Amino acid sequence: MSDAPHTSDARPKGEPEPVAESEPLVLLELIQRLKVRDVMTSKLATVPRSATLREVQELMRKKKISGVPVEENGRFFGLVSIDDIIRALVAGTIDEPCSKHMTTKLVVLEDDMPLSFALRYFDRYHYGRFPVLNRDRRLVGIICQRDINRALLVELTQELNRLETSSSQTPGLDGAYSIYVLREFPICKYDFENAGKAANQIKQVLQEKKFQPKVIRRIAVAAYELEINLCVHSDGGVLSWQISNGRAEIIARDAGPGIEDVAWACRDGTSTANEWIRSLGFGAGMGLVNVKRVSDEFEITSKKGSGTTVKSVINIGEPMAT
Amino acid sequence: MTILDVSEVLKADVLVKGEGCHKAIRHVMASDLMSDVLMVDEEDMLLLTSLASDQVLRTAQIVGAVGVIVVNGKPLPSSMVNVANDLRITLAVSRFSKYDACVAVHAALKPA
Repeated sequence: MSDAPHTSDARPKGEPEPVAESEPLVLLELIQRLKVRDVMTSKLATVPRSATLREVQELMRKKKISGVPVEENGRFFGLVSIDDIIRALVAGTIDEPCSKHMTTKLVVLEDDMPLSFALRYFDRYHYGRFPVLNRDRRLVGIICQRDINRALLVELTQELNRLETSSSQTPGLDGAYSIYVLREFPICKYDFENAGKAANQIKQVLQEKKFQPKVIRRIAVAAYELEINLCVHSDGGVLSWQISNGRAEIIARDAGPGIEDVAWACRDGTSTANEWIRSLGFGAGMGLVNVKRVSDEFEITSKKGSGTTVKSVINIGEPMAT
Repeated sequence: MTILDVSEVLKADVLVKGEGCHKAIRHVMASDLMSDVLMVDEEDMLLLTSLASDQVLRTAQIVGAVGVIVVNGKPLPSSMVNVANDLRITLAVSRFSKYDACVAVHAALKPA
């Protein structure tokens, strides 16, 4: 048996998102916004490699758990499951060290992955739980489906309260073309599978309301550029958009890493994007320039080490006559 | 000339016929840099690119392009056809190089 656990880099690439388009939008947003670390159990009952399987069995009984990680000083070696205990009872090896019988070929999740990755892994592997490692490959938690159900229930309740509050504050607008729409999209770092969906939704809403195609295009371009910026440059953030009183307002807000020199970042052709981003056709340093170009009002505030907020306002005028 | 006509010129396989497939092309852009595509304010544009990714289609849809022809016979990720269907945008793939595709499209679109 090898000392080091076999842990695969569980981040899949280029696979279609299994969540159906017909899933409720709020739920889709939640599973993109929430990270594995927000949902996992981080207070773990663990054992060292020298612990016997009988000791592990006793720990399982006391804590009412079905899997125990084997860990020493944050280093993760493997997992003992109920199956391992049953096999040991049958084979008469229950008093042997758990390191001889633990499962070491494990699929793990990383704590900064979106919850959607965890759901995909439960669907694909049919395991009851996944160990969670941080960037330093240290064990920081375990996630099981019960954790996900509990977190989603809490978040959905909060979301419902928020929606009820915001709908009661919706301004009453007069006139045939007055509309009020407010939506928020969480954007995850490097999540190119979903980048562009918010802009697409804005475009669809404006097309349904029959606004001028040129105006729709400007708004869609601003939203898309800001979405890609969040995806490429931030640690993740939220794109919100609002249409009211003849104006479309798009705000991209993130919590880091911040821009050191905002004026420099807004100049043509300046970018900190890496080669991978460039290979995807982005990172030419034209994003903010283009947002500014299509906007009637443009604001950016940022501080290195904290977050960035970019606001684009575009006057939408009246819809075309039908 | 429509994207379906251009696909014939470029001997391209049309994988998805979208809403704009019967629209007359008014502008052609050949680029692998989506940031540049987003800077163009032309209506009913055809995008020629050797970049095969979902974001090419999302970018084309945002700027209201009639469709995308991927050149150089690039193998497409399986998700591209699904995204093209979702966005209702025409997607074709041609074995022509980008340069040859540009020459052929220019000749085909030039007024007689």
